[in-house]
Amino acid sequence: MLTTSPPTTDSQSFLTRGVQKRQLANGLTVITKERHDKPVVASIIWYRVGSRNEELGQTGKSHFLEHMLFKGTDRFQKGEIDLLTLQNGGANNAFTWLDFTAYYFTFAADRWQVALDIEANRMRHTSFAPEEFNSEKQVVEEELRIGLDGPWEALENEVWATAFRQHPYHWPTVGWLDDLEAATAADMKAYYDKWYHPQNATLVLVGDFNTDEVMPKVEALFGTIPTGLEARPLHIIEPVQKGEKRVVVKKETPVERLIIGYHAPAIGEDDAYGMHLLETILSTGKTSRLYQRLVEQDQSVTSAAAHYHDHIDASLFYFQAELKPGFALAAVEQAIYEELERLQNEPPSEAEMNKAKRQIEADLVLSNEEPLQQAILLGQYETIAVAQRLPEASRGYHYLDTLLERIGAVKAVDVARLVRQYFTSDNRTVGYLVKENANPASEATSTGGAADEQR
Amino acid sequence: MSSDKPNAMPTTAHIHFDVERLELPNGLVLLLSENHHTPAVSINAITLTGSRFENDEQAGLASLVGELMDEGTTTRTWKQLAGAVEAVGARFRTFGDYQVSGAQGAFLAHDLSLGLDITADVLMNATFPEDQIQLHKGRRAAQIKSRLDVPRIQASDAFNELIFAGHPQHRPAIGYEATLANLQRQDFADFYRRYFVPNNTLLAIVGDFATAEVKRWVEEIFGRWERQDNFQPPLIPPVKRQTEALEKFINAPKEQVNIFIGHLGIERKNPDYYALLVMDTILGSSPGFTSRIPRILRDEQGLAYSTYSNITASAGLDAGRFIAYIGTSPDNLEQALSGLRREIARMAQEPVTAHEVESAQAYLTGNFVFDFQTNAQIAEFLIEAEVYELGFDYLQTYPERIRAVTIAEVARVAAHYLAPDALTTVVVGPVDELGNVISQT
Repeated sequence: MLTTSPPTTDSQSFLTRGVQKRQLANGLTVITKERHDKPVVASIIWYRVGSRNEELGQTGKSHFLEHMLFKGTDRFQKGEIDLLTLQNGGANNAFTWLDFTAYYFTFAADRWQVALDIEANRMRHTSFAPEEFNSEKQVVEEELRIGLDGPWEALENEVWATAFRQHPYHWPTVGWLDDLEAATAADMKAYYDKWYHPQNATLVLVGDFNTDEVMPKVEALFGTIPTGLEARPLHIIEPVQKGEKRVVVKKETPVERLIIGYHAPAIGEDDAYGMHLLETILSTGKTSRLYQRLVEQDQSVTSAAAHYHDHIDASLFYFQAELKPGFALAAVEQAIYEELERLQNEPPSEAEMNKAKRQIEADLVLSNEEPLQQAILLGQYETIAVAQRLPEASRGYHYLDTLLERIGAVKAVDVARLVRQYFTSDNRTVGYLVKENANPASEATSTGGAADEQR
Repeated sequence: MSSDKPNAMPTTAHIHFDVERLELPNGLVLLLSENHHTPAVSINAITLTGSRFENDEQAGLASLVGELMDEGTTTRTWKQLAGAVEAVGARFRTFGDYQVSGAQGAFLAHDLSLGLDITADVLMNATFPEDQIQLHKGRRAAQIKSRLDVPRIQASDAFNELIFAGHPQHRPAIGYEATLANLQRQDFADFYRRYFVPNNTLLAIVGDFATAEVKRWVEEIFGRWERQDNFQPPLIPPVKRQTEALEKFINAPKEQVNIFIGHLGIERKNPDYYALLVMDTILGSSPGFTSRIPRILRDEQGLAYSTYSNITASAGLDAGRFIAYIGTSPDNLEQALSGLRREIARMAQEPVTAHEVESAQAYLTGNFVFDFQTNAQIAEFLIEAEVYELGFDYLQTYPERIRAVTIAEVARVAAHYLAPDALTTVVVGPVDELGNVISQT
């Protein structure tokens, strides 16, 4: 029996209502959404390039390149983009992750178009002056060192590097320190020339503007940029994992940590929708299964969570737990397996399924009030929901149109089947973070953060 | 494009929202603002209490009271509370900070009455079940340990212990392992009964609702809450700013040194707050890396990913802190320390330029609109407007106050509120107690 009404389509229309999509002749995709409730405009440009596109020995280039786009072009000197942002009362930043790099501005509606001017210019005219490159290299290395000091980052990096043997998800977005040190301005310029083109980019505008007035301006600024070479599709496939992998990271830390990662589907695969539900059932809120088991019942952890994010290629569904002193990593690991076992034997109740569906639906509304958040969501899916397996009605930002419907269709038996199929010992990588002087008998590795690398 | 001159001084984008304020007979202040763009409502129920009202032996008490308020009431178990919230996909948390405690929720519009009901329940009827106290104390003890994993927090805690010595702000709100052990159920219940009273509480509701209906609900649900006529908040004696330089070096096996330099700051009600906001924007808080500290230490010298300064960010009911922060490689320690100290001294001793003041004013007035993007932000503003007596015409008075700041004014407040000869410096990282870098193999 349903105790609450089924999820409605309110949140999907809330996000995609009024969205228009165009493509310029040179291939640039432009997504606009007018919102006249607040006098602000968020603009964000996405490039379909991230650490996924890098090569061994040159890791971290996508993120480093993101930094360089603030360090001077033929028209904007170093610091000038920030100064224009300051003087116009705006904000800007950028972020890079596995599959993408994105740059955003938020401005009041009466002066936001400076953002278009900057993005159109720096798509092809970044300078890469050697002195700027060398000084920014130090900044990026300092950013990397913050990660080295973070226990979760240390463990996460090791688990992903262990789980992915061939696929570039093997290395962290910020790259390996030695690769950064070896990077040259010429390498960076070549990488920029390869990926920063209209046909590999999506411009998203959300806020208080008139689309018909803005499009001629977009056309004038971006329309003359050459299309660029079509990027060859990547053919990098992680082979099926045949047997559990374990890794141990030693670090001077007062609390031990655990990450367990399972190879999981890419965005748009049929099973991906159920994985999102499973993530919610396991770890959203105090009534979630992991909280009830590990925090309330066993009282063995300070926190525990499950994570599954949409990526272009198959990635990891992973668990992370921070242990209370006096509890054993092996026992917490075992408790997580028992909860997975229980999901197979006692599929979630109707109420539990409805709760999780509701949580996902409400989150789309509650997390996306701001124009910038909406622009990020629209641009992200336009950039990563590209596989041919996605039907036209769910491809690109339209992914958001059908997301709730697809999640709503997942049944409890499907969830149980997913656990049985994916959460096997052969498919997992286990990471333990232990104290420097500890001597774990047989132990493993890490946690992955969803943390984007911001500039 | 030339950016030598700010764009004339852009006007502040027009923002407007209606606010209805009323006080219930029991003293509860209700602040309502409708916004129908998103089918959601934010609830902020704020009681003016926190760790500033606990003593050293009870450190951690207020924040645990905050955490435990939704772990059981006279009408619901923790599981029923969480179950009701999560079944509708809402967000709800209770908390105890330094100066405010209470509950914050975000509900889809059609679930607002449930949200109000639960908010009232945790404010009025919390029971502090013994098993939940044990659970939270155990978890808290581990969280206190894990703070040592974040060198920036470790440095910040050590910095507070020095500059706020003798004042409640010297403690981390999370408490200490030793004081946690002392806290008993009676302590939680007493603190809750003493401070969580309607005439010490503000309730802000912002979002997609009809004011008349919500007023009726609030009067019915919160009207039962009994006024405490003899309630008086304790007085917190102010702390004095140090008069001499202090240094503390703490060894930790890390890749970076984390540095805090600064001293006591200002109260939010200080009339110089606005001139100091302009100073902050020029010295170390700006979008990107335009202000002096990030521009010079990061963008020009490449010393750090993260470096900044501010004095207004921590201004509250009590004086906050002036801080300059940097996280950098141990090799850069000397250059980073001297760079931060040089920029602080230069700000205190030399006038800023007209261009800097104009750019900062353009930024602060132009960016103001972004403080009012979400229901939660507006609810938070309504509470602050009440606590700091900003007036609901603040949307107009703020830009006026910022525009009124002059070069001379910035020079005066910088000289008065910055003390380059009496700075506290805390360094956490691979250093010995004298500040020598210990080379790591």
